[in-house]
Amino acid sequence: MSSQTLLNPEIFTSLNDRIEEETAVRETLTQIIQRLERAVATAQALLSRVHGTPRARYPALIEQVEAAIGEQREIIGELSKTASNHPYYKYNSKWSRTVQSAITTAIYTAWLGGFPLDTSPARLGRLASLEDIGKIYQVPTNLKDKDAFHITIEEYLLALTDFTSDLSRLAINSVTMGDFELPLVISTFIKDLFAGFQVLNLKNDILRKRADAVKYDVKRVEDVVYDLSLRGLVKRPTDADTEMKTGA
Amino acid sequence: MSGGVKRDRDGNARAKSARDDAPRGQFHDMFETFRDELDEHYDRRERIIKVSRDVTALSKKIIFSLQRVKNLHAEFPPNIQKEVDSRLAEISTLLNSIAADLTPLNRQRYSYSLRCLEELVEALSFAHYLRHQTLITPAETQAAVPADVQISPFDYMYGVFDLFGELMRFATVTTAQRGELVGNDEGRNILGDIHELGCAYEMLPEIPTKDYRQKITAMRQSVVKVEKLGYGLVVRGSERPKGWVPDMKDDAPDPSSP
Repeated sequence: MSSQTLLNPEIFTSLNDRIEEETAVRETLTQIIQRLERAVATAQALLSRVHGTPRARYPALIEQVEAAIGEQREIIGELSKTASNHPYYKYNSKWSRTVQSAITTAIYTAWLGGFPLDTSPARLGRLASLEDIGKIYQVPTNLKDKDAFHITIEEYLLALTDFTSDLSRLAINSVTMGDFELPLVISTFIKDLFAGFQVLNLKNDILRKRADAVKYDVKRVEDVVYDLSLRGLVKRPTDADTEMKTGA
Repeated sequence: MSGGVKRDRDGNARAKSARDDAPRGQFHDMFETFRDELDEHYDRRERIIKVSRDVTALSKKIIFSLQRVKNLHAEFPPNIQKEVDSRLAEISTLLNSIAADLTPLNRQRYSYSLRCLEELVEALSFAHYLRHQTLITPAETQAAVPADVQISPFDYMYGVFDLFGELMRFATVTTAQRGELVGNDEGRNILGDIHELGCAYEMLPEIPTKDYRQKITAMRQSVVKVEKLGYGLVVRGSERPKGWVPDMKDDAPDPSSP
């Protein structure tokens, strides 16, 4: 028996190492992501108080949520460090959902008047851009020339669709608390956002589905504004619209 | 922000949702940027999917050609070699057309759309086995890929997974034709090879994906089929006339058999 064998055992040793390495990476990521999930849940819980908080008391609430998001920032920083050691899209699906929820809380807080930035001062009804979100979490956004951790456009857009559904709830609850102006702010904002989604050429995927659902949030807010207008409880909504525009 | 002039949409098909005369919302510019970025991504993915489908079809054709080979350790008959070469050339053109889309960042992003590489690895590994009766190494695979596209260890692993099916078919056909299992002069035959390769795979840590479970199930079935061939030869070998095929319907009772 002289010659070659079927296979070089090294092939399988190396495959074995690769699989084990991948499993280890996934476990590390899972642990980080679980911590992030908890931090996101804290911020979400705090934010849910907005539905029972009059506008005058937003600053106190914002302060608390900002602190909770500070915790997210630290964990996302850790995630970024670990994830950047590996091809980004190999593991991206593991954290994408959680990062989306985190972004939603940051967008929400900025909308309420939190996270003042040099480029975009704090204001009720302000939309934190993707770049703003990057600044809040101190991670890159929409990286194209480098394989490292970042926040993607899709994650940001999906986070926006989560946000609109809560805004429509806020429109209703603000009326209950006697704030008849906030629904108008929300109405303008959410309509413009919906118009923005209409600009996209979406494929038949999750983003399409979620962007399509934004119209129901728009409708809910419109109904609130209609009820208020019908009863003469607000200035004419068109005035509020132009106010928002010039403020933009 | 001034409302007013709405730009033309650039000829994309979703005209019905275009609201060309609506005023520009305050986020319009931001979304336009996103649209351009997303379009780039969708177009790129589309290109990759198309190429991948074609490369898969060509790889399958190569495999069909190779299944017509009758001997191990021999040069392929000229007509088969010609078919293989011309298809590899087509694959090369196709893959090179998307090589620019597969930057290091995007290689993983579209890995699902690029599953043709597994099929290609299957074809290459089968060709290699027929010529040398050995398992192609990852480095040899990379060298045999006729394009500047990286083969990941997992493309290799899943591609070789599919080699089992080809070995099984090849073993079945050649056994029928010759009345013995193909092998080399030193007594190493295809049954031993498929056993050894199967064991190597069984030793790997399990990957908890559906894909992996399906592949390993298919692999085990192929191994069992070749084992039955070997068994049939020993039990009935002396009685069997040349050209008689062991009855593969024996597999029918196995409910998970495809």
